[in-house]
Amino acid sequence: MFEILRKTLKTGTVTTQYPNRPETAPEGFRGKPELFPEKCTYCGECVKACPPGVIWLNEDNDGKSLALSYCGCIFCGRCEEVCPSDAVKLTREYELASKTKDDLVTIIRRKI
Amino acid sequence: MKSEYTDSIRKEFGSVILDENVSRNETYLTVKKDSAVKICDYLYHHFDAPLVSIFAADERKADGCFKIHYVFSLDKEDAFLIIKINIDEKSPEFSSITHKIPSANWYEREIQDMFGLVPKGHPDPRRLINFEDWPSDAYPLRKDFDIRTKLPRVKGEYVYRRVEGEGVYEIPVGPVHAGVIEPGHFRFSVAGEPILNLEIRHFYTHKGIEKLFENISIDKAVFLAERVSGDNSVAHAVAFCQAIEKIAGAKIPPRAKYTRTILLELERLYNHLGDIAGIATDVAYAFGAAHANRLKEEVMQLNESVTGSRLLRGMNTIGGVRRDIGGREELILEKLSSLNLDFSDLMELLFASPSVADRIETTGRLYNDIAKGLHVVGPAGRASGIDRDTRRDHPYAAYRELAFDVPVLKSGDVNARTRVRSDEVYESISLIEQALSRFSDGDIKVNIKEIPDGYALGYTEAPRGETLYWVKTSKNRIERCKVRDPSFCNWLAIEYAVLDNIVPDFPIINKSLSLSYSGNDM
Repeated sequence: MFEILRKTLKTGTVTTQYPNRPETAPEGFRGKPELFPEKCTYCGECVKACPPGVIWLNEDNDGKSLALSYCGCIFCGRCEEVCPSDAVKLTREYELASKTKDDLVTIIRRKI
Repeated sequence: MKSEYTDSIRKEFGSVILDENVSRNETYLTVKKDSAVKICDYLYHHFDAPLVSIFAADERKADGCFKIHYVFSLDKEDAFLIIKINIDEKSPEFSSITHKIPSANWYEREIQDMFGLVPKGHPDPRRLINFEDWPSDAYPLRKDFDIRTKLPRVKGEYVYRRVEGEGVYEIPVGPVHAGVIEPGHFRFSVAGEPILNLEIRHFYTHKGIEKLFENISIDKAVFLAERVSGDNSVAHAVAFCQAIEKIAGAKIPPRAKYTRTILLELERLYNHLGDIAGIATDVAYAFGAAHANRLKEEVMQLNESVTGSRLLRGMNTIGGVRRDIGGREELILEKLSSLNLDFSDLMELLFASPSVADRIETTGRLYNDIAKGLHVVGPAGRASGIDRDTRRDHPYAAYRELAFDVPVLKSGDVNARTRVRSDEVYESISLIEQALSRFSDGDIKVNIKEIPDGYALGYTEAPRGETLYWVKTSKNRIERCKVRDPSFCNWLAIEYAVLDNIVPDFPIINKSLSLSYSGNDM
């Protein structure tokens, strides 16, 4: 009993104030991938490389668009790896819960 | 490998060997279909070679035949002997070996469901993976079965074994359980508290992973392997990558080998800590559970700092690793040294607690002969006297260059399984420290452009035990990928471990065997 008490006191409090106090993920964390519209050339390399297939390239009369859904994303970072123009980066953002699947889709466009 | 085995088979059985093919440490012997039973029986009982997998492949396009492979491990020589038979499509059946080698049971039933090849004389020919609502002539792993096929549901019935007698009643548990866990059905037959019989039924979430492998590119398949069993991601990914690297004849750089070793041991650490926490929870030792969970969380946060993923995902790739873990050596060493002290304190308290000892000693005994017959692997096997560890018997990554002990106990109870894991935690810490001390600069990946046509085994010792991949490639695609997760071997052990125990001890017995639903229901 005394030993248990000793261990408990030695350990102290390990729980944190999250979510009242935000916590930053460590450097190199594989979080939400972000698209940079000014750099993207819409070449489609990320579309081909994405293992779960959650990046789509669309082309219509208005121009081109690239959509990425965080819904099926496995945060592997293959898109970042294959992108020739650094237009996609995995960030340290991890709070991705949303009420609808549509909220989890991000779209960038370029008009012709 | 010495040809001692081949010679002796030739001597004992005459001209039954149709073809012999040696590639690295794997010897493939194609034998006459009707002689497979006696040869497997001979290897298993005479040479004491464990049967580590049986799988089929549909190669009808090439020669009109299905193939069945019986994989035996020759532990002492770091080699594998694979007995292969051809099965003509016109007579889709083969003789069952389950009555000679009990661990063949589920493999043969799996082949029956997936390929429509009937194991003649199987003691339990019921369906295993395809449920009763699955039409009778649809075999998912045949090449002519399209992956997009949607089948109608049919009527059918599954018959459980029954125990009858005065005062005997059944307790059905699951497939939906209290708590966020995966589905599985447990049917207990009890008389009062003691369990007379348990029958398990699984594969509720069969995902068709082996079929999926055949339909994706090899670079993407690594990520699929990572997701076969979520908490054994590294072990699965490394096993898969090693199979492909073996086919390509590629040697990965030393830094990649050491990185893989570190990742594999970090995975073992958080798994074992989690299992010990689970056992403590189930014996109501809340203090121990809280601390073991805290330590598990610390390792997972370390994983996150080192690899960017708590579950160590996205690190492996064909030819090496994707990210250099350099610069984090100090952090790892510091965390591990405090974990070592913290953990040994905790284990001293846990094993000294009478309330814990009372619940785990002699509980859920898995007898050594049963464990051997079922081919129980990993810590569960080692707690029942099975002195096998893939890291030592078939060294991969950097294990050949590192020193470690393989803890083996014989009592086969929950206590032994807890102690084996506890001992392995110290071995893992030491392995990571050794690996870091030999960590040299250099490339982390070798580029493999073309993957030649071929086949090979890839294997690792996952936290749950021996994990095996057999991959066959053709034109840069996967022709067949057989995944053998440790839980596929270990699930049946629970039917024996619970006998004569009381129902309230089922949760700890289950936890101490640490069985994966996902790895099993592939």
